[in-house]
Formats: sequence, structure tokens, C-alpha cells
Amino acid sequence: MATISEDIASPADTAELEGNTTYVEGVGNIPRNIYKYVKSDPLGDLPRYSIHIVIQHFATFVTFLVLAATGLALHFASLWWAPIVMKLFGGPDTARLIHRIAAALMVLASVYHILTLIGGTLQKILNRKFDINRTQIPLLKDIRDVVHDVKYFFGKEPYRPKMNKFMYKQKLHYIAILWGTFVLIAAGTSLLFPETMANIWPDPRFGQNLARLMHADEAIMAVTVIIFWHWSNVHLVPGRFPLQWSFLTGRITREHQIEEHFMEYIENLKEIPEEKEYMKKLLKEKGFDSN
Amino acid sequence: MEFLRILTKTSLFLAIFLLVSFAVPNANAADKENCLMCHKYRQIGRIDEKGIKRSYYVNENIYANTTHRNVPCRDCHTYINRLPHDPVTEEVNCSNECHIKPPFSKENFSHRKIIKIFNKSVHGIKKGDSEELKAAKPYCKYCHLNPVYRTVAEERIAPTALNRCLNCHERKGVTAAYKHITHRLRRKTSRSPQEIVQLCSKNCHADIEKMEKFKVSKESLEAVETYNESIHGKSVALGSQEAADCVSCHASSAIHDIYKKDDKTSTINIENRTKICKECHDDINERFVQIDVHPKIEDDPILHFVTMNLTVAFYGTVFGLLGLALIETVGRKKDGIKWQIRRGTTWRGRSKHWLKKYGD
Repeated sequence: MATISEDIASPADTAELEGNTTYVEGVGNIPRNIYKYVKSDPLGDLPRYSIHIVIQHFATFVTFLVLAATGLALHFASLWWAPIVMKLFGGPDTARLIHRIAAALMVLASVYHILTLIGGTLQKILNRKFDINRTQIPLLKDIRDVVHDVKYFFGKEPYRPKMNKFMYKQKLHYIAILWGTFVLIAAGTSLLFPETMANIWPDPRFGQNLARLMHADEAIMAVTVIIFWHWSNVHLVPGRFPLQWSFLTGRITREHQIEEHFMEYIENLKEIPEEKEYMKKLLKEKGFDSN
Repeated sequence: MEFLRILTKTSLFLAIFLLVSFAVPNANAADKENCLMCHKYRQIGRIDEKGIKRSYYVNENIYANTTHRNVPCRDCHTYINRLPHDPVTEEVNCSNECHIKPPFSKENFSHRKIIKIFNKSVHGIKKGDSEELKAAKPYCKYCHLNPVYRTVAEERIAPTALNRCLNCHERKGVTAAYKHITHRLRRKTSRSPQEIVQLCSKNCHADIEKMEKFKVSKESLEAVETYNESIHGKSVALGSQEAADCVSCHASSAIHDIYKKDDKTSTINIENRTKICKECHDDINERFVQIDVHPKIEDDPILHFVTMNLTVAFYGTVFGLLGLALIETVGRKKDGIKWQIRRGTTWRGRSKHWLKKYGD
């Protein structure tokens, strides 16, 4: 361990050293709240999403907005804004075609996602790099994390939990998307091909009504969650305003990674030599390397 | 006296001269008997015994552009047989023959056939009907209102096709005939789906109180509401020209043969429904026609239960997630994060709150 450089470290800059540090081989003891001291580039410092995920997110969100606009305008046909939105898409007959094209593209994006998922996972298993903690699979730890995090928000815990690459919010959202996409595609198929689906449903009358109900309900749920929750999480909440660039660059800022995905940051330290150097230097500068 | 006569003659002559010279070259309607001599005046009318103002004005320009432009007045108003005529007490009978022969036909034209179909349909007046029901049932003019006597606007006239007709026929007549035919080749009704839905609902099928009086079935009572909630209804409401309106399903190409669904002749009778659905939906069978066209989802107990659960899940999720976002914002803000993402750091460092609680 290097000696404390007394000219840099000042009492105000000194982190609380007792407890809650994580030792990383070749770096030192990293305090849990080191994210308050690091420097970040808003465009992102550390890798988070592959180019495939960036493309998939882009395809999904463009088609989602088109689908939502055309679909909701039809569902809420009697409301004042519906005819205006419909007119923007060239009337219901054209909007119907647009909705179906967008739906086909979204299905393609979903298939693309599943293929990347399977391919990527297989590759990781073959290279013996597969780690369940770096996947979207829900774990018991996530429930502990929620409890811990809520305690922290109420001031009952000094630090946020050490979360994985995907924290509880993201896992919840991912499951919601899987379920929602499945329901919307299944119900939408029944609405698009009623002739074929009539032969498949045990009771065509009930089946079609169920599809009508589920397609509309699930869509409204998805739109509400996206607008009120997803958009606040990525655009509005403190430290995220006006937007995060991850969706385009595929990279996450250092302070965000350490705050909400601490375990993933530890992995980053092991994998990226530059990051290791950076952290080592920072610990030395701030005087965290004393123990 | 002589002077006065000359003055009267001159002024009359001048008045006629002025009238003739300033008259707009009007489109001419069939008016061999010169009924327009009187009826062309805008002010012509009276207040009848009930105190209702009645106008007898006929706008020649409008009439000359309607479907009936070639029909002389007395072909429909048959009860007029001398001039000036007595006050009119009779209604026009649309099943009259008019003195017009359609091309390639030896018989005079009449609406009799379609009226026969209409009288057999559910809307025709039957023997056992109460006076109230008789009054409520539609008659020709109830749906075929005056403005829609006009010819349907048909913009896409193919000049090449029309030019060939002009080899033998007059331009004016053939244009009208062409429009008349092509429009009906393209579409089932001359009127737009929006107009059809308006026509059937307004003051009639949408008037629940009126419908309740005639003891119609529950489905009929809710028909307008359920149609407007259906995918066909919503599309039509937003201006679709493709989605089904009332007549698309409830009548054959005769348009007027609307029957109750239990009637074997009805287009929507379960036995015949495949045929009518096939007008839009290809490759269908008897399973497809079981699908609700006027869906009422709450009526199904299972779907009602599903809806209830989805509603609870919806509000639970939205408020749960919003609550989480709120406490998260408050918590992180207290810990010292700034709103805006910044180059460098977004954190203020440890907050006073944190220091007070956990010490330096």
C-alpha cells in the first residue's frame, strides 16, 4: 500500500473509513460511497450495452411510440384528441396499416433480442464467463436489495445496497416487458388474423373478446408505465436530468455504475485495466488507501 | 288614362326586360308544366293552421343537380290536376311510376320493387303495429332526406371511358349516368359509413327511451352503444371508409332488407352470417361468425373478473412504482445529488443530514 499523500488529502475530502469498504485485488479498499468522489463523463465511461441492445432498444421505442399513438387513438376514439392524432397518421385506414407495419417491426426486434440473448449466453457459457449475477434473472438478492434500498431512502441505512448489473427496478421492468410483449403480440395476432384464430380458440367468441380486452388493457398499462415510470427514471429523477446517453452510446457513467451497480463496477475493475488505474489513483488522491 | 296605360305597359316591359337580362343562366330542371313560375319565388309559403311556417320554394339550381332532375313535378305530385292547385294534403308516394324510361327498358321507372322489399323488412309497417310504432317507423323520406337527393360527388371520372360514351350519348346525361353507376359499383351505399351510422342512430336506435317503448331485445337496445365500442364503430367514428357500418352487415345489396336476426331471411341470421362477413373477411367459416360484432365484454362473467383484476393490477402498479420513484427521489436528494447530470460529478458530497446522522 502506498503512503498517504498528505498534500492532497484534506479533512473535508476524507471519506468515512469505518465499515463498508470492498477490497479489490490490486486496487485497495473501495468505500461504498466512492461514487460521490469520482469524475464522470455524461456520455458514459464504462461499457453497459452491446450494439445489439442499443439497436433493439431503438427499434422497440420507435415502434412502441408509433403503436401507442395509432392504437390509443383508435381505442379512445370518442375523446377529443383521437381524431387529431388519427389525422396525423392519415386517417384510420392508413393508421391501421402503419400500426401493423410497426407491430411487425417490433416482433422482428423481439426475435432479434431473443437471438442475441441465446447467442450471447451460449458464448459466455462456452467461454466459462457466464455469471448469473450479471443477467436479468431475478434472484433472492433483489428482494433484499429493495428492502435495503427503501431503508436507505428513508435514512435508516447509510449506503445503497451493492447491486448487480441489473438492479431490482430493471429486472422488474424487464419481466414486465417480456410479459407485455407476449400478451400484446398474442392478442394482436388474434385481432389481426381473426379468421385463422377462430379455428384455434376453443371458443372463438370468448377468445376474441379476451384478445380485445387484453390487447387494449396491456397497451394502456405499458404506455402508463413507460410514461410515468420509465421516463421519470431515465429523464427526470435527480442525477438523470435531462437524459442519459446510455441508450445511444451503450455506456454508463462511472458514478451511476458505482451507485446503482456496485457489483458490476467491481467486475469492471477486474476487466478494464484503465479503470483499475483510475480507481487506484483516486483512492490515493482522496486518501482512502490508508487501510 | 291613356298615359297610365302606356306607363304600365312600359314598366311591365322594362321589368321583364330587366328580369331576362339579369337572370343567371340556371341549370334547367324538367319543368314542362312550368310549376316554377310560382315556386321559384323564395318568399312563397304560408303559415298553416297549426302556426307552422311552410315554405314552398323550389331552388331550381339545386333541383337540377339532384337525382330527380329529369322527373317532372307531377310524376310524384300526382294529386295536382289543375292550376292554381288546391292546398296539398297528400304525401308523395314514392312507389309511383314516373314518366321516365330507363335505357333499354320498355317500362316506366318506379321505386316499387325496393319499396316492396322495404315493406317486408322489419321497418315496414305491419298489420298488428300500434299507432305509436307506425309513427316511429321510418318511411322513404325519413332516410332519403332532401339534401341527399342530390347526386353523390364522384370525382374520379375516367375521361377515356367517358369519351367513348360520348360517341353516341349527350355529354350531360352520360356524365350523370356514369357517376350514378360507377359510385354504386365501388361502394355498397351512396352515403359514407359515417352518414349511415348517424342516420340509424340519431333520433332512433340511439334513443333508448324510444326503443324501450317498442320492447326491442336487449341487444337491439344496446346496439348503438356496443357498435360504437366495437372496432368497426371506432374506425368509422374516426373517418374510416373501409370499416363496416350498419348497412354493411344488416342488409344485402338491396340495402332495405333489414330483418331481426332470428328471421331466416336476415343477412345476420347465424345461418346466413358467413355470407355477409365474407364481403370483407376472406377465408372464414362458421367458427368465425361466432365472434361478437357488437361486443359487450362486461357481460361475460370471466372477462368481467379479468377486467376487475387488471384494473387493480393497473392502479397497484402505477401507484406502487410512482411511490417508489418518489421516495427514491427524496432519499437520493437528501443524500446530496443534484438534478442535472453533469460533466465531472453530480454529487454535492455528503449532506448535512448524512453527517448529522452518521458522523464524519
